[in-house]
Amino acid sequence: MNFYAPFCLPFILGAAAMFLTLLWKWGRWLYLLPHADKLRILRGLPTRATLDAVGEVISESLLHRRIFRINPLLGYMHMSLAFGWFLLIAVGWIETIAYLGFRYVPLQGHVFFKYFATNLPHKPAFELTMDLLLLFVLSGVALAWGKRLRSRAMGMRRTTKHVPGDRIALTALWFIFPARLIAESTTCALYGGGSFLTGSLGGWMAAHLGTMTLVGLETAAWWFYSSCLGIFFVALPFSRYMHIFTEIPLIFLRRYKLRSGEKESSFDRFQTEACSRCGICIDPCQLQSVLDIRDVQSVYFLRDRRYGSLRLQTADNCLMCGRCAERCPVDIDLNTLRLNARDTMRNVPDEKRYDYLKGLDRSSGSGKTGYFAGCMTLLTPRTMQAMARIFDAAGEEVWWADRDGGVCCGRPLKLAGETDSAHRMMRCNTELFRKHGIATLVTSCPICLKVFREDYALEGIEVLHHSEYILRLMRAGRLAPNRGTARFTYHDPCELGRGSGIYDEPRAVIEAIGELLEPAHTREDALCCGSSVANVAIDDGQQLRIARSVTAELERSGAEVIVTACPLCKKALGRGTRREVRDLAEIVSEALP
Amino acid sequence: MATINFGYTISKPRAIDIDRNNLRKSDEILREMPELQSCIGCGSCTAVCTAGNLTQFNFRRVHTLVRRGEYQGAYEEMNKCMLCGKCRLVCPRGINTRGVVLLIKRKLGDF
Amino acid sequence: MKKRIVVIGGGPAGMQTALRLKARGMEPLIVEKEAETGGKLRGWHVLFPTFTPAGEVLAELRHRVREAGIETMTSAEVVSFTQHEVALADGRRLTADAVVLATGFTLFDARIKEEYGYGIYDNVVTSADIERMLDEGRVAKADGSRPKRIAFLHCVGSRDEKVCQQHCSRVCCITGVKQAIEMKRLFPEADVFNFYMDIRMFGPGYEELYREAQQRYNIHFVRGRISEASPTIDGGIQIKAEDTLTGRPLRMSVDLLVLLVGMRANDDNAALAAAAGLERAPSGFMAPRDPFLGNVRSNVGGIFYAGTVSAPKNIGETLNEAAAAADAAVDYLNA
Repeated sequence: MNFYAPFCLPFILGAAAMFLTLLWKWGRWLYLLPHADKLRILRGLPTRATLDAVGEVISESLLHRRIFRINPLLGYMHMSLAFGWFLLIAVGWIETIAYLGFRYVPLQGHVFFKYFATNLPHKPAFELTMDLLLLFVLSGVALAWGKRLRSRAMGMRRTTKHVPGDRIALTALWFIFPARLIAESTTCALYGGGSFLTGSLGGWMAAHLGTMTLVGLETAAWWFYSSCLGIFFVALPFSRYMHIFTEIPLIFLRRYKLRSGEKESSFDRFQTEACSRCGICIDPCQLQSVLDIRDVQSVYFLRDRRYGSLRLQTADNCLMCGRCAERCPVDIDLNTLRLNARDTMRNVPDEKRYDYLKGLDRSSGSGKTGYFAGCMTLLTPRTMQAMARIFDAAGEEVWWADRDGGVCCGRPLKLAGETDSAHRMMRCNTELFRKHGIATLVTSCPICLKVFREDYALEGIEVLHHSEYILRLMRAGRLAPNRGTARFTYHDPCELGRGSGIYDEPRAVIEAIGELLEPAHTREDALCCGSSVANVAIDDGQQLRIARSVTAELERSGAEVIVTACPLCKKALGRGTRREVRDLAEIVSEALP
Repeated sequence: MATINFGYTISKPRAIDIDRNNLRKSDEILREMPELQSCIGCGSCTAVCTAGNLTQFNFRRVHTLVRRGEYQGAYEEMNKCMLCGKCRLVCPRGINTRGVVLLIKRKLGDF
Repeated sequence: MKKRIVVIGGGPAGMQTALRLKARGMEPLIVEKEAETGGKLRGWHVLFPTFTPAGEVLAELRHRVREAGIETMTSAEVVSFTQHEVALADGRRLTADAVVLATGFTLFDARIKEEYGYGIYDNVVTSADIERMLDEGRVAKADGSRPKRIAFLHCVGSRDEKVCQQHCSRVCCITGVKQAIEMKRLFPEADVFNFYMDIRMFGPGYEELYREAQQRYNIHFVRGRISEASPTIDGGIQIKAEDTLTGRPLRMSVDLLVLLVGMRANDDNAALAAAAGLERAPSGFMAPRDPFLGNVRSNVGGIFYAGTVSAPKNIGETLNEAAAAADAAVDYLNA
């Protein structure tokens, strides 16, 4: 049996180009991985992680489970295209084997089997299965067309604006399956066979078109189908569709514990190119929903970074609230990628910078428990006063690290991308903590908390946010605030909630004091106050607009008092509302007998 | 006798000569961050400054000199900033002070 | 039949408007939210720049209102109004031929500027507190002792985007100068400092008083806005500012920190404006139809503005404007 026809050429060339490009890309990225990462892969390969990765590939790359959770229709669309196409290929191979036994069939023989198999006896069961699968994929294509027209129906207010390469690939992809339907139907019209889809359409064609027309149409349709595939394959590695072949290795590498870090690395490539530009990150972005800024969201950031056209303005314009990362179906570490891009663009190693920090100590008091207020907390003295009262009530001896001014924790500098300099400040504070021999470090500032936990080497010192610390004192019976009738609502600070996973402790404290009413967006989905230190691009008026949109929602909870647990959030929210905005420590201190 | 340090470290003790100063960089900075022009010199930024508490760094003074075309040493001065953001929280004119620090450093890295 | 004009607000602006309306043959009705007339003048000790007791001015205004037989409703809060009808909180409705809005301003709540420590530390007070203390004849630290060092901070809740108050409240500068002199008269041995961003001496006699404060009373003026206040061990307040004229950070301990709080648009403006279809300035104050020929008229016919409901003003300006608002209302009804 001959498995070649001239129309196969575009497909063969396209597929060859694609596989070569893929091999080059994967090979290069893997080769450029840091040595430690390569070791991790080798160590991880023979472990359970590999099996887990296979499972994740099936559930995510094929079934798109995470997108289903965001919106079932959107999930179905992605699943029908990915899983449907995969089944078409897999069942197609089985079909070939069923017809021809185990013998070598070139790739185009599998893909265009219907064209070559006209002289073989029909197997209706396979024909029905293949038609069903084709219908499954076509339903996904129809939904994709529909999504372009009405994205809201799939839970997306805005969809991605694409680059030209994406548009070519997208158009080719849209036509692949309708083209396959027409091509297979014309063959069925000429030679019979096919099931309810290709068979019926073929029958209709045979009844209405002359044989000569059909022969011409068949050649044209198979050429068109093959060309669509060819174009798509050539465009794929350079378009968003690279995600199809990047998400798979990404899943494996992630299981082998490879992570992006504060400096760019080859692993980042796997993350940036695994982005399918689905645009799910656009809707949760408050810069988009409140300020109508439409070109800085993670999807555009990753796109620009991938094509080397990233501008500082785009990298900078992000609150790093993490709302998008929370929803990303590929689970890309968006904040870290944004941070190390800033590092690349801004970090200037300067050994002498911050020499003035040497030996600096403005701390006061002494005790095993240290309190680091943080720069911002110095501007919210009510929080400081409340903490002093709480320490007093619990009989805690406290070492005050920065009551009279101190050294910044370093996170704001790190967030701006000046990573090396940030580490100089971190070293200075670490030395200070060690010098005073504290065992517990309490801070009221979630920004400080996150950097203490993630970037400081503080072995032997337990780092606690004041919400955790207060709850611990209450549970240990060292603090007994009275429960009143006040109704509170709680604003999750980004760095505390999504950033550090602390959601329950502040809520438990509030519920011990009064009634807690949740706002519409809460916990993992909580809104950002808008004044994040991670964003140096938006202006004061824009920060205020975000704050007002957030306080409006908090007010709608019906609570009299807005509680938060971050000095920056407190300041930001206070600008947006006439209601009382309090820090968690304040309401505890006031409820003390 | 030790010389008295009045904190004038970044400009030479001479008149600011706007006629001779090259204002190109200053104009670029103000074009990117026009709100800097609305500074009323209240000094709140400098008073709260975490770095200014520990060094002679004076944010208000440095950016004012930069606006007048006095770039000498501005980069090194701005490098003392810890970017903690207290100044942005107190600025009565709502100036994006952290953005100003980064912008001046970006524009004046070679001065 | 005489035309009935409802004057909302019984402060200096409302009383003066009513007096003028009465003089021009109208039938004014003052509707006052509080239990007595006088508005914010009631809590004030003496007026700048002449140190005229506020009580004298108020007593005279009240006397005239009484003499003229002007009908006055107290403890009557207006919830909404139009040109023809004023609705009260208790459900009563008053008919009117025209309305003059003289509801004044809301004093900025200094607790919002948390970093200044008002409501947190003893010995941080506002300019309004000082007037009350002067009126009660007892100005002292929280522990009753005499302050030896007093700092005034200008522009608290004025010209501050961080509290969404961009406008200048105008009168706090001269109030700061006046109160500094009063402090110096009470405590000649004390050092008094004024921390300011700009000093705006816009009225007759103000600049002269400023000079007097400097020359005769030796009051210190520091150009720099205080950024933070924190408590000291001995119950004082440590303040931080930049002395912008020397370009260096400044710290000092004081016994009393006085915050010169600004005038904010009246909290009721938003609701009243919505019901009556009135326009407001971005600051929240009522916007006159135009700032020159229609500065006491609103954008709605038959509704007029008197006093600080439309912008921060001093007492003299308020009284003048009240007369102008009354005249505009009479002209409108006679037209």
